[in-house]
Amino acid sequence: MPVITLYKDRFSKFLKRPLIVEEMAKWLPWIGFDIEETGTDYVRVEYNPNRVDFSSHAGVARAFQGLMGWKTGLPKYAICKGNVTLRIDESVQKVRPYMLSAIVRNMKLDEGAVREIMEMQEDLHWGVGRDRKKASVGVHALDNVKPPFTYWATDPDEVKFVPLGKTDEMTLQEILEEHEKGIAYKHLVDWSPKYPLLTDADGKVLSMPPIINGELTRIDVETKNLFLDVTGPHLEAVKQSLNVLVTALADMEGTIESVQVEYSDRTIVSPDLTPQKMKLRRSYANELLGLRLSKTEIVECLKKCRLDAQKTKDGTIEVEIPAYRIDILHEVDLVEEVAIGYGYYRLKPTKPKTATTGGFHEATKLADVVRQIMIGLGFTEVMNFILTNKDVQFRRMRRKPEKTVKIANPISSEFNIARTGLLPSLMKNLMDNKHEGFPQRIFEVSDIIYIDMKTECRSRRQLHVAAVSSHSTANFTEVKSVVGALLADLALSRWEIKPMSKSSFIEGRIAAVQLKIKNIGFFGEIHPEVLNNFELENPVCGFEMNLERLLLE
Amino acid sequence: MVELRENEHKTLLTIEKLGGKASVGQIIEETGLPNAAVMRAALVLQERELAKIHEETQTTMKLNEEGKLHAKRGLPERRLMNALEKLGGKASIAEAVKKAKMKRQYVPIALGWLKRKNWTVLDAKTSTLRMLEKPKKKEADEKLLKLLNQEEQVIAEDLSPELQSAARTLRRRKLLEINEKTKRIIKITETGWKRIKKGIRIVSEVTQLTPQLIMTGKWRRVKLTRFDVTAPGPVVYPAKVHPVQQIIQRVKKVFAEMGFTEIRGSIVETAFWNFDALFQPQDHPAREMHDTFYLKYPKTGGLPKEDIVNNVAKTHEDGWKTGSSGWQYSWSPKEAKKLILRTHTTATTIRYLAEHKETPVKVFSVDRVYRNEKMNYKNLAEFHQIEGIIMDKKATLRELIGTLKEFYSKLGLKKVRFWPSYFPYTEPSAQSTVYVPEFKKWFELCGMGVFRPEVLVPLGIKYPVLAWGGGLERLIMLKLGVDDIRFLYKNDLGWIRRTPTCQ
Repeated sequence: MPVITLYKDRFSKFLKRPLIVEEMAKWLPWIGFDIEETGTDYVRVEYNPNRVDFSSHAGVARAFQGLMGWKTGLPKYAICKGNVTLRIDESVQKVRPYMLSAIVRNMKLDEGAVREIMEMQEDLHWGVGRDRKKASVGVHALDNVKPPFTYWATDPDEVKFVPLGKTDEMTLQEILEEHEKGIAYKHLVDWSPKYPLLTDADGKVLSMPPIINGELTRIDVETKNLFLDVTGPHLEAVKQSLNVLVTALADMEGTIESVQVEYSDRTIVSPDLTPQKMKLRRSYANELLGLRLSKTEIVECLKKCRLDAQKTKDGTIEVEIPAYRIDILHEVDLVEEVAIGYGYYRLKPTKPKTATTGGFHEATKLADVVRQIMIGLGFTEVMNFILTNKDVQFRRMRRKPEKTVKIANPISSEFNIARTGLLPSLMKNLMDNKHEGFPQRIFEVSDIIYIDMKTECRSRRQLHVAAVSSHSTANFTEVKSVVGALLADLALSRWEIKPMSKSSFIEGRIAAVQLKIKNIGFFGEIHPEVLNNFELENPVCGFEMNLERLLLE
Repeated sequence: MVELRENEHKTLLTIEKLGGKASVGQIIEETGLPNAAVMRAALVLQERELAKIHEETQTTMKLNEEGKLHAKRGLPERRLMNALEKLGGKASIAEAVKKAKMKRQYVPIALGWLKRKNWTVLDAKTSTLRMLEKPKKKEADEKLLKLLNQEEQVIAEDLSPELQSAARTLRRRKLLEINEKTKRIIKITETGWKRIKKGIRIVSEVTQLTPQLIMTGKWRRVKLTRFDVTAPGPVVYPAKVHPVQQIIQRVKKVFAEMGFTEIRGSIVETAFWNFDALFQPQDHPAREMHDTFYLKYPKTGGLPKEDIVNNVAKTHEDGWKTGSSGWQYSWSPKEAKKLILRTHTTATTIRYLAEHKETPVKVFSVDRVYRNEKMNYKNLAEFHQIEGIIMDKKATLRELIGTLKEFYSKLGLKKVRFWPSYFPYTEPSAQSTVYVPEFKKWFELCGMGVFRPEVLVPLGIKYPVLAWGGGLERLIMLKLGVDDIRFLYKNDLGWIRRTPTCQ
């Protein structure tokens, strides 16, 4: 989740009233912030990833003012008509087709503001841009370059410029190969024969979207006028990023000025901060929340969330949503705004209206019965992961590998397949517990996963039980008695014991359990080589049984 | 006449035979009784003032590596002295060292001890050594060195006072390995001697009641030993349900009591049910490889009925008829077919709801889920999720809050708060924090919300669905006081054996 550190003084400046840290920490959670840390002059908060407009002090302050009732309704942003043009050349069509832009003048930047603009860019790259894939943002010192600007695509070796943070000129190709940002984001352009570029009237480079800006337009505390560019393959995301950024800068007392963005087939005056309109039914809000608010009350709640709302004659409420709120997709999102404006802390709990009878899944019931019997037989339960590896599952068990579910991106080679049996996990448990007192008798009732290409998920989980007993005189007879007791206590009859062969067990000391001529499990004395493989000193006897067949009985 | 039990009598007689004083070791050797029996007998004898237990320290000495070397070649000062003698009683240090073929590291030691033992004088100006008197053939320290070399191990307390003092010197010179042991000596007291003279009667006692004693009635004629009921016995542990499972059972019971029915679904899941059906766009960060386990084998699964797939696809693209704007991108069935390990039990829930559209539905899962997380003290890649679902005609957010409050309360968590929050498939959403009195702190537990229309409409679900869920391990860690999550599945038998069943 994205994080922002809100400094008391800076935050108070935007609120236009002094605030103490305790007050911030008290109220911020009610607009959806999660307090991470409270310092003497700051609060560090996590915000939800759909609220990219919370990536600046200004953005949080807008919502805070609303919640406290200090300033409600839609924040208004004036846009001065400007005469700067930005031409979008057709050459970018195939690589990164969209760019929108805006100018913000008369900024008074201090170091905090410069740092915050950088951080906002990063948050937008993640929150809207999906790591720059859908949109990426550039903020430039306007006065260092000369309009009109052109967004075009060029050959990788044709143009050279000094990328941000460097002193020497590099070609676009060199940037992709050598610059840290180039290396990180080359996959966004390197498949194209031409790379995107933003240049001014003299051909000087502002940026190479979405990789890196030029050193030429770097902003600092001296910068007064800003030129913003947002590029991407997704016009909606480009527009959203620009709107979030430009409104935050306007709240930092800048003046927004429009840019004529000229596409081959149309001209867009950017930015477009027209509020989105949406209807909210009073009944819908009340039914979902379980409240009985009047239309007037609903309007009030929405205004506290910095939306504008008006009652209409047809019984609905017409809502205007500011351009920086990119998270509102559906009427239901307005219902949540009503709840936030109303205050979650005021929502009184109610009891469910419909009575139902509950119960456990058949697998849980069976597992619990088996658990009870195994404990009665003196076995202690262990719980292992379903994820395991071939070494434990097969090699140490002296078994040939069989087909298993395999993970494409495992966290480690220790956990890269799904187990097909429980017994290997139990052997591993014995290995890890050699220092504990003997006898050691442990069991597990849990799932394995086997491949079944006939199902939608190409696999099935299956409930098994397995147990091992380890001590100086553990033997076949012991485990045979245990299996017999378990089967009898499960009220099974007509089961049979048949000799079988299994490489994890000693030949002639392994048997199959059959129920109506189908194998449901096996038991026996573990092969000494397996004991060596698990570094065990005491003999081990054990069994494993598939409980799924019993579920079907 | 004194009455003693067999072992006490045996012990006392043995001490008497050995001259009224014997070590525990000696008594064990003589009587063949186990150590514990002799000690128990000795304690009884002491209690009855017939004997007294003394503790003596026994110091065993051995030469260490350097000690062994000196024992073979002579102490450095002796070697230098011998060389000096051969050189006529006077020579420069260099000459003497050369003659003695002495390694450089021993020279300062040799010079120091020559001075301390007053064997030579050193003329500082010329660095010349002059012999004072011919030293005794062997001094005490050298005698001890020789003895230790022959005997391998010597008990310090057995040495003459002269050699004991030499032992201290050699110990300071770091040539010895010293081992101190406490030895228990039992000595008959004066009262003891008097009583022995007067005669002792042995009482035959029975420790284990046998079937034979019971059946024959012989038990009437024997004395059953009185046990020291406070003495420690061997430790046994009950077989038990794993502590994590105990809490899983408890949580499941709470759900069942509240009228919820358990559901169980596939652990391997298609991205379609895990993400797409829950309106999570295909470029959502949670779907990336660094958050979700994708399968290498089998790679892809099947999709459900065509109309469901189409509805979901259109909802993602432009909102379809859900009233939403959708995510505005082109939805790919290829992405939806990918097989993964489910990242939440909600995948199972939504499959269930797609099949059960009549109200009321109240279902729950407490089951395994997977996230591609580096394992550390607070994260696991495989863990359990709790999930509760209500689908009902007039279900509301307030009802969800009420249900969750009751759920927590049944788990002993009485103070709960609800904040606004965000989840991709619920709106409105909330986060709950609970106050845990043992820690005097608030902890974030379950997230919750009402399923979005974009989730319900494509599947033909007509009623509001309330959902809450969260990781189970966090709750378990709070309950069991475990601060490293990995420990829960380490299956440390000692921990399982010693964790009380009643939590």
